[in-house]
Amino acid sequence: MQQALKQIDSTPAAKAAPVPPRIEFRAVSKRYGSAGKADSVLAIDGLQLSIAPGEIVSVLGPTGCGKSSALNLIAGFETPSSGAVLVDSRPVTGPGLDRAVVFQQPALFPWLRVIDNVTLGLKCRGAKPADYLDRAHQLLARVGLAHAARRYPYQLSGGMRQRVQIARALLGQPDILLMDEPFGALDYQTRLAMQELLLDLWSEFRPTVLFITHDVGEAVFVADRVVVLGRPGRVKHEVTVPAPKPRDRSFLTKPLFVELQAQLLDAVQREARLGLVSQVPNA
Amino acid sequence: MSRASALRLPTWAWSLLGLATVAAAWTLVTNLGWVTETYLPSPQRLGGELLTLLERGYRGAPLHEHIGISLWRTLSGFAVGALLGVPLGLFTGHNRTAGALVAPLVAFLRPIPPIAFIPMAVLYFGLGETGKVVLIAFTAFNYAQLNAHAGAAGVPESYLRAARSMGLSERQIFWRVIVPAAVPQIFTGLKVAMALSWAVVVAAELVGAQRGIGFMISDAAQLFRIPVVFIGIACIGVIGLLLNAALNALQRYLVHWERHA
Repeated sequence: MQQALKQIDSTPAAKAAPVPPRIEFRAVSKRYGSAGKADSVLAIDGLQLSIAPGEIVSVLGPTGCGKSSALNLIAGFETPSSGAVLVDSRPVTGPGLDRAVVFQQPALFPWLRVIDNVTLGLKCRGAKPADYLDRAHQLLARVGLAHAARRYPYQLSGGMRQRVQIARALLGQPDILLMDEPFGALDYQTRLAMQELLLDLWSEFRPTVLFITHDVGEAVFVADRVVVLGRPGRVKHEVTVPAPKPRDRSFLTKPLFVELQAQLLDAVQREARLGLVSQVPNA
Repeated sequence: MSRASALRLPTWAWSLLGLATVAAAWTLVTNLGWVTETYLPSPQRLGGELLTLLERGYRGAPLHEHIGISLWRTLSGFAVGALLGVPLGLFTGHNRTAGALVAPLVAFLRPIPPIAFIPMAVLYFGLGETGKVVLIAFTAFNYAQLNAHAGAAGVPESYLRAARSMGLSERQIFWRVIVPAAVPQIFTGLKVAMALSWAVVVAAELVGAQRGIGFMISDAAQLFRIPVVFIGIACIGVIGLLLNAALNALQRYLVHWERHA
């Protein structure tokens, strides 16, 4: 398994890899409200995308391009209007323990201490504390929060809360980590530290990661592959980031990073403008 | 500039000053004879009357008994209303079908002042304790249900999604996510319910009661014992304040995270 992952890692053009994709969108469309109605919105239109096991894919795109909808479909929070969303070649039928989600919005329960937030899922599934408590504390230590296990979320900074969310997501040992603008609300320094932490943790746990963001630099920094969605959601642009992981902040000044960032910034802005134009006949 | 700094007193000092001003004005207008004793008794007259009440009671029952029976009616009605209203509200807020089922009924009942039901309460339950307790329970129920419903219906989607992706069952989501997330709003409802229950008990005691603060006020008014009326009113105010403070303390203890939200 480890061997296979290394192989994929060295060939970022994962679509060509013999391993079946971990995540696959097959001609997926998602419409909110019924077609023909005035308030109906086509969020995703024929999305085609495969993500290999262990791959980190960033998704960029203008507001309303269906980035979050795509994530919600894999997470099983929503169902596609047409097409198929597959995880390990099986259609997604609902939320599952193989997929963990890190949200941007507050998703830690304010009435539970950090350690209880992290372990709630396992506890509710009937696991014995002896079987997960040690590992939960190790994970908290791993994200730098060993001292905060007994605190409540309101006693933590924004960055610490996101680290708790990541620890909570990893405790269930998911194959897939779905991250919906997880660092969007954090200041620049904290965000950078979180991106580095994410890559560190990836080296350790090797999950497949779908990373939604609106920050072009962040998209390049964390990913093996960056996908730009246009409105309504379909892949308009795609680049691979052929740099070894984990990466640290020195990567931010490498020619490769600077070049990819510029290229993607152009692509995103083009989509944003196109979106504005195409909004008119829609309305 | 210097005037502004001279006025920089702590907040409580200003509150105290407000109270002192009213008390001083009251003492002044009653003692200077600007207002007849009949309409507004002087503070010393009220104090004397309070001592008499404490010594001899009112109409054959000591003052604390009048207060106690009113409190008992309020708290038992409140408890029944809250115990029915909070669970029902949580359920109707969580379950869309149940919510739709009761929505028109509660929307119709809520704006009706509970006092309007007094004649029906007397007709159904007579002049005894049951009618009064039922009326207060009905009042408390309305606001307990409304706010528990709003609390359960307003749980952030991200909480529910996080719970689902962690593998919680629907039942676990209800008990471990929806209920705790609704607790702050439940308390908002309970405080309104308590205030209204306490108001309704006084109205309910105007009809057919032989004891209670409400009875004392209406009876004393008919006998023109105005100081007793004022003492009754003051009792209602002070006890209302204490009931609210008790719920506030319970809320601060149970909903510790809300203070930092």
